[in-house]
Amino acid sequence: MSNEKKQLKMLAPEGFREKLSRRAFLQGGTALAGFALVAAACGSSDGDSADSGEATGEGLATGDWSRVINQSSGTLAMYTWGDYNDPELVGALAASTLNVTMKVDYYASNEDLITKLATSGGASGFDIVVPTGPYIPQMIEKGLIQKLDKSLIPNMVNVDPNYLAQAWDPTNDYSVCKNWGTTGYFYDSTKISKELTTWQDFIDTCMGEASGNCAVIDAAPNYAGMWFWANGINWNTEKPEDLDACEKFLVEEFAQHIKAFDSYPSTKLAEGAYSIAMAWNGDARQAYTRIEEAGGNPEDWKWVLGAPNTELWMDNYCVAAGAPNAEAAHAWINWDLIPEVSIKDLQYHGYHTGMKNMSTLITEVAPDLVKGDMIFFGDDQVATMQTQVITPALDRLIDILNKSKAKAGG
Amino acid sequence: MTVSVAAKLRNKSRAPKFLLAVPAIIWYLVFFALPIAFIVLYSFGAKDTTKLLPVDLSKLSTNSYSAVFDETFFKTFRATLRISIVATIMCVVIGLPVAYFAAFKVAEKWKAIILAAVVVPSFTSFLIRTVAWRIPLAPNGTLSKWLIDLGFIGSDGIQVLETATAVQIAIVYNYLGFMILPLFVALDRIDVRMREASKDLGAGRLATFFGVTMPLAGPGIIAGVLLTFIPMCGDYVTATVLGGAKGNMIGAMIASQFSGAQNWPLGSAMAILMIGAVLLTLIVGAAIFWVFPRVAILASPLVQLVRRKMHEREENKFRSEKIQTRVKRELLSKLLGVWTVLVLVFLFVPILLVILHSFNAGSSFTIWSGRTSVKWWGELFDGAEMLGVLIRFAVLIGIGILAQSYFKNKSYVARSVKVWITTGAFAVALIVNGLITNWYRTIFDFAGIGDAIRNSFIAAFGATVIAVIIGGMSGVALARRPGGWTKFFMATVFLILVTPEIMDAIALVTWFPRIKDVPLIGVIFSSGWGPFNGGINKLWVGQSLYASAVVTLIVRARLSGLDESLEEAAGDLGAPPARAFRQITLPLIASAMVAGGLLSFALCLDNAVISTLLSEAGSTTFPVALLGATRSTIKPFWGVGAVLLFVVTLGALWFLAVILRRGGDSASKIAATFTGS
Repeated sequence: MSNEKKQLKMLAPEGFREKLSRRAFLQGGTALAGFALVAAACGSSDGDSADSGEATGEGLATGDWSRVINQSSGTLAMYTWGDYNDPELVGALAASTLNVTMKVDYYASNEDLITKLATSGGASGFDIVVPTGPYIPQMIEKGLIQKLDKSLIPNMVNVDPNYLAQAWDPTNDYSVCKNWGTTGYFYDSTKISKELTTWQDFIDTCMGEASGNCAVIDAAPNYAGMWFWANGINWNTEKPEDLDACEKFLVEEFAQHIKAFDSYPSTKLAEGAYSIAMAWNGDARQAYTRIEEAGGNPEDWKWVLGAPNTELWMDNYCVAAGAPNAEAAHAWINWDLIPEVSIKDLQYHGYHTGMKNMSTLITEVAPDLVKGDMIFFGDDQVATMQTQVITPALDRLIDILNKSKAKAGG
Repeated sequence: MTVSVAAKLRNKSRAPKFLLAVPAIIWYLVFFALPIAFIVLYSFGAKDTTKLLPVDLSKLSTNSYSAVFDETFFKTFRATLRISIVATIMCVVIGLPVAYFAAFKVAEKWKAIILAAVVVPSFTSFLIRTVAWRIPLAPNGTLSKWLIDLGFIGSDGIQVLETATAVQIAIVYNYLGFMILPLFVALDRIDVRMREASKDLGAGRLATFFGVTMPLAGPGIIAGVLLTFIPMCGDYVTATVLGGAKGNMIGAMIASQFSGAQNWPLGSAMAILMIGAVLLTLIVGAAIFWVFPRVAILASPLVQLVRRKMHEREENKFRSEKIQTRVKRELLSKLLGVWTVLVLVFLFVPILLVILHSFNAGSSFTIWSGRTSVKWWGELFDGAEMLGVLIRFAVLIGIGILAQSYFKNKSYVARSVKVWITTGAFAVALIVNGLITNWYRTIFDFAGIGDAIRNSFIAAFGATVIAVIIGGMSGVALARRPGGWTKFFMATVFLILVTPEIMDAIALVTWFPRIKDVPLIGVIFSSGWGPFNGGINKLWVGQSLYASAVVTLIVRARLSGLDESLEEAAGDLGAPPARAFRQITLPLIASAMVAGGLLSFALCLDNAVISTLLSEAGSTTFPVALLGATRSTIKPFWGVGAVLLFVVTLGALWFLAVILRRGGDSASKIAATFTGS
């Protein structure tokens, strides 16, 4: 078995790499390469699964990867978070492989998305939307998203079961994981002398050394979460005394030190606008490239995963109610769940896409991936991450963010 | 006897007084009064996110208003007003010398050049110009590094981004053009003889400036202040892009209440109080404007005494220092000239940066990677299609130009036809290329920039047509059929002008889900009938409000300067009212409608606030797409897109200027047309 595995591993990657070199991939040969891969991978099925670094333990083999590409037609409109898909996948490649013309618009928060869908009365014209998990129940309830036709998404088998059947949609009738990530912060070690490791360090630095030079994510749960995590409180707390203490601290003491509420600080970090910023892991990873381009030294910058606790968020592909081209929406979702396509997206945005056998995939498809430690987290790290739950307290958190914004402006 | 009969006949042939304004009245009722009424209603409701439209109207209260008066929010109000007032004053201070220089100190040809240089930057995307300010202001940027090397600033670099200062700079920059143009038009209209008379009567230069020039330029200053101050108060783009936490403005805060926080009652209350604050500031401003000269009069005996003394002294020195005075005057001209050049450089720096950074090899528009690359521009020339498009353009326009020169001296072709040949060829080339190819769509297909530019033009064009039709008609009605309704109508128009864009935006966005209950119009909108399909119709509505109000005022102003005797004469000669309107009134207001249309088009093309809230998947315009992109990282190809849009807009403007010049207008008249005065 072991020998066989080795052999296969030696054989398979060569085939993989040749066919999946970026160039070949981009020249529209995906469909062909895909089918070739099915054949190639089938041979190696048993060998790889045992080697899989993922904790699935299911023994699901690479041979089960499905690479079905549903052809479609017309225009496909996606409403999503900023810079969330590789433009090369969205443009010419989508046209050549899926036969759809893509339109992508961006929103800044789940509430923006909900408002846009709700106020257009089911005629927003968007096909695919990408809400964060906890917001899905209210979107179902308000009739903003429709049930998925799972027969059109056979590639859902490629998703690691760990990232399916989440609390907000236990049967995945409405949503499927696009990618997930977490929150931490990013700082310039030439400007900040102390070694930082926890949320408390972040708060102290923002109020001390980096006062007036720090940025926080412009989303109420994250902003308030920072304080809850630092104080060992679950960020889904509904206790009035927790919320009162949080408001008192963030509005009265913390807000005045903030330079910006910025959900995507990577570019601005490179411009030199902040010396420390709360960030989602993928965005912080992109900051390294930008800093290098701006002539800075990326080595000076340190990424810290929030501690002792931090969040785990998952954004999901959903089909909007009244989608003009629901068929193409399914085709896109199905296509983006092809492991190689998924990994190409991952390389671009820097978030874990929830594919099965991730570590094998990376060694085979993207061996030159850098800063993998900002995308993949150990079990011990994942254990510290908490998923958001929408509670009546959310209104209070939004209120705290708003008041902090007003206070920070003074 | 005959006279009175004719008059009676005329009166008989007249329809109800406000008939021409009916389309505008309906439009404003459905798309302004009712939506705003709902905002007022929402402001007394309570937030309830379990509903599709998150407002609970079952128990009305004033809680939202007391929340706004909470100290924290009130601060942002104050900061917004402070930034806007300071920026308006700075625009006057910076713009007045430029307008003065252009109006009095240079030859006609230079006037045209200076004005063009002031106007042209306003036709580059507002948003990309604002984003471009991040380039010179970045603490790690090139400018910052130079300043550090020269020892002017500390090693931290320029610390301006994400502060109110950055917003202040960019807001002055963004609105300066809208101040300079009306100032220029007002100054240019001043009869030079008035100024000469003042000097002949012994007034010094300063006395002439403050005693004659300024009062005569008053209307221009008022127009400039209104054109800049009101949009500034509602501006949310500049603050979002540059302001960070410290430069937050109320427009951004209101917008975030509606989408981010889903707190419509609080957002509504803020918006209503904001209109109140804008009106109050204008009233206070007007009061100061009214009081100041009257207070100054109190000091007049003193002033006259001083003036007489100074005059005597000048008289004594007059002969000996005549040459010196001339030198002084030339020095002043030179200083004004230098100032003008500096202001123009200021206006063009961000645009040059946009062009430069569209060649950036890096992954971000604002961060210069140190290397140039033509890969983004290369995208445009991808394949033979672009070449085909260019060839078709060149051939068709070439034919147009040849035909025009061929027909130049042929008397059998009417002059009005000749003027349009090249323009027509351009339009034909645009349509032909649009029909037989998908060229615009393939421009940066991954970002949809081609589609966005196309949508921008369709939206702006539709809104302009609506604005010109309903604004033109109500302008005529106001000037020619005044009556009891005039006051109400003018009040509505004024209210539309002072309502910050963000308020219209939220009013409409919350109104459209309810529109199906409105007879006829509701059916048209909800069934997506004909051209009212695909989301663009909402943009037409949203963008047409402000634009039509502007057209109304311009047309009214033009007509009220001309009495009705021409139309009456036509009526006396037996022309039915329709014919009199077509052959007499329409030619009279044509230039005003062109002016209004042009101004509308420019405003609509750049519209980001209303469009962002109203746009749908099929109607994303360039500003909307770019605003979306600013939420994460702006890629260098946005620079290419902005330059493209700029070139196309400039082409359209150039054609218009050519047409106007053919019509024999001077530079000043063209400028007057462009500002609608």
